[in-house]
Amino acid sequence: MNIESLPEDFHDLGEGLLFFGNALAEVRSFASDLARGELNGKTPGPDNELATGLKSLHATLKHLTWQTKQVANGNYEQHIDFMGEFADAFNLMIDQLRERKAEHEQELAEIQKSTKELERSNSLFETITSQMTEWIVMIDKETGEHLFANHPIEKALTNDIFEAQLYAILLDYAKEMEEDANFLEEEFPLISDTEIQWFSVILYSVKWYGHNAVAAVLHDITHEKEQQQELENVAYKDMLTGTYNRHYGMKLLNGWIDQHKACIICFIDMDRLKYVNDVFGHAEGDKYILTVSELLKQFSSDAVVCRLGGDEYMLLAANKTLEEAEAILERLRDNLASDEYTDESGAITYKRSFSYGVIEVPETNTISSSDLLSQADEKMYEYKKAHKAERRDAPG
Amino acid sequence: MNIFKKEETLHEFKWENLGDIKEGRGDLGEEMPVLVYRLMQYTMLDILTKDYGPEKANEYFRRAGFLAGTEFAKNVLDLTVEFDTFVANLQAALQSLKIGILRMEAFDPETGNLVLTVGQDLDCSGLPITNETVCNYDEGFIAGILEAFTGKKYDVNEVDCWANGDRVCRFQGSVAS
Repeated sequence: MNIESLPEDFHDLGEGLLFFGNALAEVRSFASDLARGELNGKTPGPDNELATGLKSLHATLKHLTWQTKQVANGNYEQHIDFMGEFADAFNLMIDQLRERKAEHEQELAEIQKSTKELERSNSLFETITSQMTEWIVMIDKETGEHLFANHPIEKALTNDIFEAQLYAILLDYAKEMEEDANFLEEEFPLISDTEIQWFSVILYSVKWYGHNAVAAVLHDITHEKEQQQELENVAYKDMLTGTYNRHYGMKLLNGWIDQHKACIICFIDMDRLKYVNDVFGHAEGDKYILTVSELLKQFSSDAVVCRLGGDEYMLLAANKTLEEAEAILERLRDNLASDEYTDESGAITYKRSFSYGVIEVPETNTISSSDLLSQADEKMYEYKKAHKAERRDAPG
Repeated sequence: MNIFKKEETLHEFKWENLGDIKEGRGDLGEEMPVLVYRLMQYTMLDILTKDYGPEKANEYFRRAGFLAGTEFAKNVLDLTVEFDTFVANLQAALQSLKIGILRMEAFDPETGNLVLTVGQDLDCSGLPITNETVCNYDEGFIAGILEAFTGKKYDVNEVDCWANGDRVCRFQGSVAS
């Protein structure tokens, strides 16, 4: 519209109509933007009173966009006022989200607390197991699968071949355990050609991560075993000859009697030991004793030779008859007595021999060990009497 | 000489000097019509404009608003909370004290810049439309609050304003470079 073309009295009217037309166009464009969700376009100016309602709507939408972004970012402190039913619904939604968040935070706090307690327990467990000198090994009871070891197990073992042996033994024990048994306590050796390593083990039945498992607490007792062996040697061995002593021999014989084990008892008495001691001295007597001891050890690999004291020996064997035993002893005696003994210097010469008596102990035996030994002693005495002539002919 | 009279003067603003309104106005109470507030505001604007010109008068209003915003934030709001919580608290406080309806539209956490509107404003809602900017006090008030909370200087400008009975003003705040 060209204002100048209007009569002068209508200029203001024309200006007004132009302003009104521009205001309407501005409102139409603004409404179109809002309809498309475009909130960042040009907004009508303050003198466009036609746009005030739309501008309020625009401000509301902008504010709601910001509020919604805040909620999306987890901020539930937003609140909308003076927007009628929409504000009520929005605020209710925020309240519910806040409640759920609080519930989740409580759940999370409980989970974190549980996790912390678990971490503490686990840390305690790890600290204890890592500082324990014992080895803790866990295996599946059925498959033997290795489930846990508190230290690398190879560090516990002194030989490469022992690991397989160890796990095989543990699996055997695990299978031996009764279904309702809580634990099993054992000692076992791992054996190679050159060494033996002893372990004590306590096995516990455990359910672990779906496994029917056993936890084995292993302790290397090789040193204790060696010390024990040394003590047994002191307690049960004859210091001079290394054969067993009377105490061990009688203990073993009593054990066999209690078990109703059939065996033979040989009573052996060295001939002329007193003569050798008196004439050639105790050093030579000790040599004589050692010779007889070594000879008797040849009786059989499973025979037990015990020096009862002085010139007397007891020999126990489980797998020989009386006749077999007498034959062996006679042969050993012949070996000793066949030639007269002369030492390296040639200054010492005497006849070495021994006398023996053998009795059989049947499974049905009811006689005490000391009486049985006396019986063997009597038979030895008879033998010695019978061979008296031989000794008479010999020097000493 | 009145030895009980305090030395200090009300010409220097202190929050405490707002007095115990509840006790002082036992019968009439703590509230009064907005009309009275605007009567004081616009008569003061009149005198300041006549004496110093409109630009200087607006400047005084902006500075007074800044002082009010700073003291309001320090004495009424919790400045230790996160920004989102602070905005929610500010929105609730302005509504509770019937200053206006604050609505946040945008906030850039990187720059600190923001856009917000204040509706049914104590200073200007319902005023007749003129070609003047009348929200200078609000600009200073908002800048004072933002500076108290962030510790950064803010330039706050009214970027849009309209009236339909409940006037709404849009403000843009940016961290001063």
